[in-house]
Amino acid sequence: MGIELLQRTLDGLLDGASYALVGLGLTLTFGTLRRLNLAYGATAMLGAYVGAWLHLRFGAPAWAVAMAVVAVAALAGLYVEWLCFAGTSDDTPPGAGAATSARGGGPVAGADAREVVALASSFAVWMQLEQLAVNLLPRHLNPFPSLASAGEWSIGALVLRPDRLVLALLAVALCLGLAEWLARSRRGLAWRAAADQRVAAHLAGIAVPQVQRAAFAAASALAGFAAFAVLAVDGQVTPMFGMWILTKGLVAALLGGLGSVRGVLGGGLLLGVVEAHAQGMFGAFGREFAGWALLVVVLLAPWRRPTRGFPRGFAHAG
Amino acid sequence: MPAEQAIGLATDMATMSLLALSAFLLLVVGRISFGQQAYFGVGAYTSALASTAAQWPLVPALAAGCVAGALAALALGLPTLRLAGLQYAVATLAFAEMLRIALQGWHWQWTTDDGNLIGPNGLEGFRDIRWLLENDVSALEFLVLAAVVLAAVLFGLGLLARRRAGVALRMVGHDDTLAAASGLPVARLRLAAATVAGALAALGGGLYAFRTTYIEPALIDPMLGVHAVGYALIGGMGTVFGPLLGVMFDLGLLEATRVFAGWRMVVFGGLVALFLRWRPRGLLDETLVHRLAQNFVRSGRQSDRRPLEIAR
Repeated sequence: MGIELLQRTLDGLLDGASYALVGLGLTLTFGTLRRLNLAYGATAMLGAYVGAWLHLRFGAPAWAVAMAVVAVAALAGLYVEWLCFAGTSDDTPPGAGAATSARGGGPVAGADAREVVALASSFAVWMQLEQLAVNLLPRHLNPFPSLASAGEWSIGALVLRPDRLVLALLAVALCLGLAEWLARSRRGLAWRAAADQRVAAHLAGIAVPQVQRAAFAAASALAGFAAFAVLAVDGQVTPMFGMWILTKGLVAALLGGLGSVRGVLGGGLLLGVVEAHAQGMFGAFGREFAGWALLVVVLLAPWRRPTRGFPRGFAHAG
Repeated sequence: MPAEQAIGLATDMATMSLLALSAFLLLVVGRISFGQQAYFGVGAYTSALASTAAQWPLVPALAAGCVAGALAALALGLPTLRLAGLQYAVATLAFAEMLRIALQGWHWQWTTDDGNLIGPNGLEGFRDIRWLLENDVSALEFLVLAAVVLAAVLFGLGLLARRRAGVALRMVGHDDTLAAASGLPVARLRLAAATVAGALAALGGGLYAFRTTYIEPALIDPMLGVHAVGYALIGGMGTVFGPLLGVMFDLGLLEATRVFAGWRMVVFGGLVALFLRWRPRGLLDETLVHRLAQNFVRSGRQSDRRPLEIAR
């Protein structure tokens, strides 16, 4: 019984690390743009489908597929940024493009109206990109170049797959490395400045729209990379993948405090462990349900009430 | 297009219009919900249960679904409507997905008098909601019913728009701080709008369940919700006919014609994004509606005046 519980926790931690990996780009986008990009899963999925198509059609090797996935995801990300996010900032600095609308208010009210409009618009683009991917490969199950290992290590009574351990370590390294880079490097400082004080960053000579576009493309490329890493372990890709990336990434990012790069690691691990135990107790439906329920608990949690909106991103990254 | 297909399409349009109006009502009070499909599901399952398990006739069964949808929307609106817009949108999606997953695991079947096993059966769905067949209601008669329901809802909403309460709702949607400062009970108005929105979506779900005789959890996936919001956003928020225009555009043009086969979502999704960017309050926005109304009033006055001039 105790061993089973421990095994489940271990599996949950490994799953959770991949959730953190897919949530990383999402939290980065929120950190630099204050926008939640719901097309995030679909951009990664489009990349993955193009990769799978190259693999199926031309027998492309894994490294070429990886490059294609990252490149397509980054390009799709630029498209999403152009259509949904460019020029929608709350305090547009002088000369940085037109405001959202010349016709007065958007469709929603409140302090975060523009965030919500961008959210809805990225939701629509999600549908668009997903349909494009499915048009490319209409079958439900598509092979993906597999890097999975057949063997299993056993530590005492516990079982561990080395490929999943590598994936988890990769996720941890990426999260910590990115947080470190944001905190220490000059460019990271520029990203944080553009996110926290647009006008001040503009006056300090930072080209805010360009910085944000670069950050968005980088986040989408990260999504593509995460998609490749996860799919290479699975060895196949289905049309559900976009939704999977988005929901798991979103819950992990929200649990960790949206915009916090180290937080997404903790959020992903927590989600993984909760899901693993929910599955043990209630089966496959319980697993899916627990993920959403955890999100609702975090959203409605009374201790969050005083802060309006989400924590203010990298400023609180720790 | 054969008549049968046309009737089916028109009924679908009426059903989806109710869902679109439900999303529209929340947009009017300044909230985007990605979870209106949940109330559609609540209405569909409740009406179906009332019709099969309790053997209720059509109209009471639809009313039961409607009430269940309103109660569910009220119960979920209480905690979620206090959230900021972004969190509200995510929370509605989360609740809708939780309902869908719960329905996947819900097995509650019984044997009918003629020996069939019916009831919600998890992923397999809920089959044999056969009230229309058993009572010889033709597709055309059902279409008339759906159209009457939709017309009544439109009439009610149109009437509301002219009342104080309707103006108050729009005010909350345009600027909630200003509305609160003017002494409007913002939270209560939003909650009322969300409750009515839940009832409308549930009504659509009930109609859907009766028409198709079969419902399943996959029916209420997020795609349905994004369509509902998209209809209202494209069609326009200036008038209750905006969402209807969106429905006609999507179901009538994109789905019914073969030209867009496989590309429907590409066109629809792109259009929603383009509209949000360049015409954020939709095709029939307040400015256009106001201008149209003015023209209408002016031409009306002129025709009133002409006989006078002749008389003079």
